[in-house]
Amino acid sequence: MMAKQQYEQLSPEWFQPAPPNVGEQEKINRPSLTFWQDAWLRLRENKAAIVGLVMIIILTLMAIIAPMASDRTYKDQNLRHAKLPPKIPVLEHIHWLPFDGRDANGVDVYKQRGVKEYYWFGTDDLGRDLWVRTWYGTRISLYIGLLAALIDLLIGIAYGGISGYYGGRVDNVMQRIIEILNGIPYLIMVILFILIFEPGIISITLAMVITGWTTMARIVRGQVLKLKNMEYVLAARTLGAPTSRLIFKHLIPNVIGPIIITTMFTIPSAIFTEAFLSFIGLGIRPPEASLGSLVNDGYKSIQTYPHLMIIPAVVISLLILSFNLVADGIRDALDPKMRK
Amino acid sequence: MARYTLQRFVYMIITLFIIATLTFFLMKLLPGSPLQNQEKLTPEQKALILKEYGLDKPVPVQYIQYLGNLLKGDLGVSFQYDNRPVAELISDRIGPSAQLGFQAIVFGTIVGLILGIVAAIRHNHWEDYTATVIAVLGASIPSFVLGGFLQYFIAVKLQWLPVAFWEGFKYTILPTLALSVGVIASIARFMRTEMLEVLSSDYILTARAKGISQAGVIIKHAIRNSLIPVITILGPMTVNLMTGTLVIEKLFAVPGLGEQFVRSIELNDYPVIMGTTLFYSALLILAVFIVDVLYGVVDPRIRLAGGKK
Amino acid sequence: MVEKILQVNDLHISFDIHAGEVQAVRGVTFDLYKGETLAIVGESGSGKSVTSKALMRLLPTPPSRIKQGEILFEGKDLTKLSEKDMQSIRGAKISMIFQDPMTSLNPTMTIGKQIMEAILKHQKLSKDEARKRAIELLQLVGIKNAELRMKQYPHQFSGGMRQRVVIAIALACNPKILIADEPTTALDVTIQAQILELMKDIQKKLGMSIIFITHDLGVVANMADRVAVMYAGKIVEIGTVDEIFYNPKHPYTWGLLASMPSLDHKDTELYSIPGSPPDLLNPPKGDAFAPRNPYALKIDYELEPPMFQVSDTHYAATWLLHEMAPKVEPPAVVRERMKRFADIVARKGGKPRG
Ligand SMILES: Nc1ncnc2c1ncn2[C@@H]1O[C@H](COP(=O)(O)OP(=O)(O)O)[C@@H](O)[C@H]1O
Ligand SMILES: [Mg+2]
Repeated sequence: MMAKQQYEQLSPEWFQPAPPNVGEQEKINRPSLTFWQDAWLRLRENKAAIVGLVMIIILTLMAIIAPMASDRTYKDQNLRHAKLPPKIPVLEHIHWLPFDGRDANGVDVYKQRGVKEYYWFGTDDLGRDLWVRTWYGTRISLYIGLLAALIDLLIGIAYGGISGYYGGRVDNVMQRIIEILNGIPYLIMVILFILIFEPGIISITLAMVITGWTTMARIVRGQVLKLKNMEYVLAARTLGAPTSRLIFKHLIPNVIGPIIITTMFTIPSAIFTEAFLSFIGLGIRPPEASLGSLVNDGYKSIQTYPHLMIIPAVVISLLILSFNLVADGIRDALDPKMRK
Repeated sequence: MARYTLQRFVYMIITLFIIATLTFFLMKLLPGSPLQNQEKLTPEQKALILKEYGLDKPVPVQYIQYLGNLLKGDLGVSFQYDNRPVAELISDRIGPSAQLGFQAIVFGTIVGLILGIVAAIRHNHWEDYTATVIAVLGASIPSFVLGGFLQYFIAVKLQWLPVAFWEGFKYTILPTLALSVGVIASIARFMRTEMLEVLSSDYILTARAKGISQAGVIIKHAIRNSLIPVITILGPMTVNLMTGTLVIEKLFAVPGLGEQFVRSIELNDYPVIMGTTLFYSALLILAVFIVDVLYGVVDPRIRLAGGKK
Repeated sequence: MVEKILQVNDLHISFDIHAGEVQAVRGVTFDLYKGETLAIVGESGSGKSVTSKALMRLLPTPPSRIKQGEILFEGKDLTKLSEKDMQSIRGAKISMIFQDPMTSLNPTMTIGKQIMEAILKHQKLSKDEARKRAIELLQLVGIKNAELRMKQYPHQFSGGMRQRVVIAIALACNPKILIADEPTTALDVTIQAQILELMKDIQKKLGMSIIFITHDLGVVANMADRVAVMYAGKIVEIGTVDEIFYNPKHPYTWGLLASMPSLDHKDTELYSIPGSPPDLLNPPKGDAFAPRNPYALKIDYELEPPMFQVSDTHYAATWLLHEMAPKVEPPAVVRERMKRFADIVARKGGKPRG
């Protein structure tokens, strides 16, 4: 095996017994991170998720500040300023950017009509400021996203929690109800509700309250059932072991993880649904603006004024994309098993 | 297996019945009536019309009648399209929608499967990253935005393909593309995850330990087993496709069911809305039923045990 | 001397992961003789599975990497073979059985097909001949109604039966070496005994060599001819069964022996080695076992012990065997056990193997 000679000059002193200090044992192990620290570290390493997060923050700030900072509102009409292309100070001098106030034929419309003001995103056919309307529409999207998340958290958790906690007959009935609700196409439910209550933000809200929480309920129920079973196991074998630590280290993260993940995926899909409804004329009604209805309005003049469609279309896509990226990132961070 | 199929079938019927009932009573709650746009009628004329629509009887009787009519495939008559039967309106329009949906599913599934499989096999290589980016973008960009961009850049700017209308295969390409991106995204994503899961499973190791080549393992073991769960997303995908056709048909002026549906919403044509809603629901529920049965057929664990795992 | 069928020399395997290099196997050396059963034991995480998968080159690369060392089989170094050449060895000359029979069979393929796949891959047989051979194999591993069972799917078999099927697959081409990675860990005790019995039986009939991996020393006593004890990616002691059981030299082996549940002794509480195995991302300097070793010497924290020879067949890597080291005796529990093993062997009338 190994050459013995090289060890021949070892000093006898080295062969003194030196049993390990048991107290030191714990310190040798790598400092164990809590579940949340660990998840945060993993999330931070996920570049796509961070980009998404930053974009969400920027879009949210714009949605809050832009309409407030402008002296125009989303419904102010100014027919003299109708259908102006976008024009942004400084950027107007960079010619390959479409922010120089020229239309599709290269004519500087601002000069032609003697408009002094800058409309950063241009104006629509009624002369409304698209900059303000776009960010106003973003507000509505964010509101819907937040609302959907809230409904998920309130109704979904309560329903799933009760169903899982009581089990037996209660659970059975509640599960059948969910099964039927799931059988009904979500969108069709929404459309029916909107027909009854008139299109608008309240109808969308209501429709979401009725249908939007079943996934969350199912997931919470599953987790609660699992948790119940775990409690038995714990009770049986944790004589002496600190139960509270087990609960905080394993059980809580187990339930909260899936809840956060589900919520995060609810948000972009709710934002999409609202935009879609507004696009087909069932959502937000004029003069209010939603990104979906803005895109729809933009289509009418896509050949001549493409910016009317492209700008809100890009914003809604970015918004949904950012939320999806963050949701993906959070799922991967909270559920390392799912990470591939 | 027979019991399982029967059970799914009963579920399907119950759900359909509930939706039909819901639709009926919602219709009763709706503001407005068939007379909405005909304010200047005399009371006699009104009564006559109500009678013609069967609206003079008490609600429970109407309900029974309605269910009876449904069984006969009678969905009522339109308020707006010259009193034409809703069933007829639907069957007239179903062709283009079906073609569009079919093309989108076939194209999207093939591309999505290839993307997903390649991504999983080349996990953490550039192919994987590309597929993942495509899947995330495809899942994030709303179909109405994508349709608009395709229309603007490919049809308006580049003039490679017609902007709109429905006059031959060339006209179907852009709408099919716009519709299939969602399909591609969801299939690619799902297939990739399933495939990675399967590739890391013990039985793949067993197969490799037998000496089967990498390609053999992927084709004979991995793909087949990852395909099975992919069947389950065909249900939700049908919903997405329906949602998609609503806006895509509107955008590209395709004379399909979705376009008519959106128009009937704009015109408050309740019988058409309700009829189409019911039709869509039935289609979806049928899709879910087929998926369940199909799942049973391809997965021996369900086929032989007679229940879902 | 019996013919060596496999030689593993100074094998090093690492996983390159995000946080750095996990040195899962850090210099493993052993020989496998024709017809013998070599057991590899050690706590979970000690690198047994990585070693055994490396022999078949089944580790995914990346992240895994054979850093150094050779695996000699039939005059070839397996670490240098192409994937294609490896494929003709896997399943034909070297086969493997995995831990969990519930997951190691393809759930959507019939048992028959899964066995025939292995046969058809390596042997020039027609489908019918392969089917016949598969049925024979099922009968060999003790599955009744073999013809009917061929058409069934894994979920129609119990855990023990599935493991028999897995064994049948592994035996499909009469391999020279069978590697069994904890083949009974997932099974309950009575089934466990049956599977072990079956393996011994088959070895007697077919005469192949077995590498038997387990974390349970109890199983080893009546399965193996020789035992290698693994800790933190290294073999710390290797010898014949008798040497390991009644003349163990490494304090880690003592720990394993002390923590063995014994049937005739309703011990009040099972002993377990304090602490946990080291982090192989940053393996400690010196003897990796020192921080858990009540007999540790100062030198253990500085220098890795070499393999000290105890007998022709018995080696252990502990400084306690150095001439300058204090003479220590195994703890009382272990001494008592050693004595009992000796008694059992004596009662059976056999003399210690070795
Ligand atoms: N794919 C992998 N990536 C990183 N580390 C791994 C991987 N597989 C195994 N290891 C590490 O290798 C070590 C030995 O694992 P293994 O051979 O499975 O142990 P055993 O089979 O003895 O229980 C463990 O510390 C484990 O963390
Ligand atoms: Mg192992």
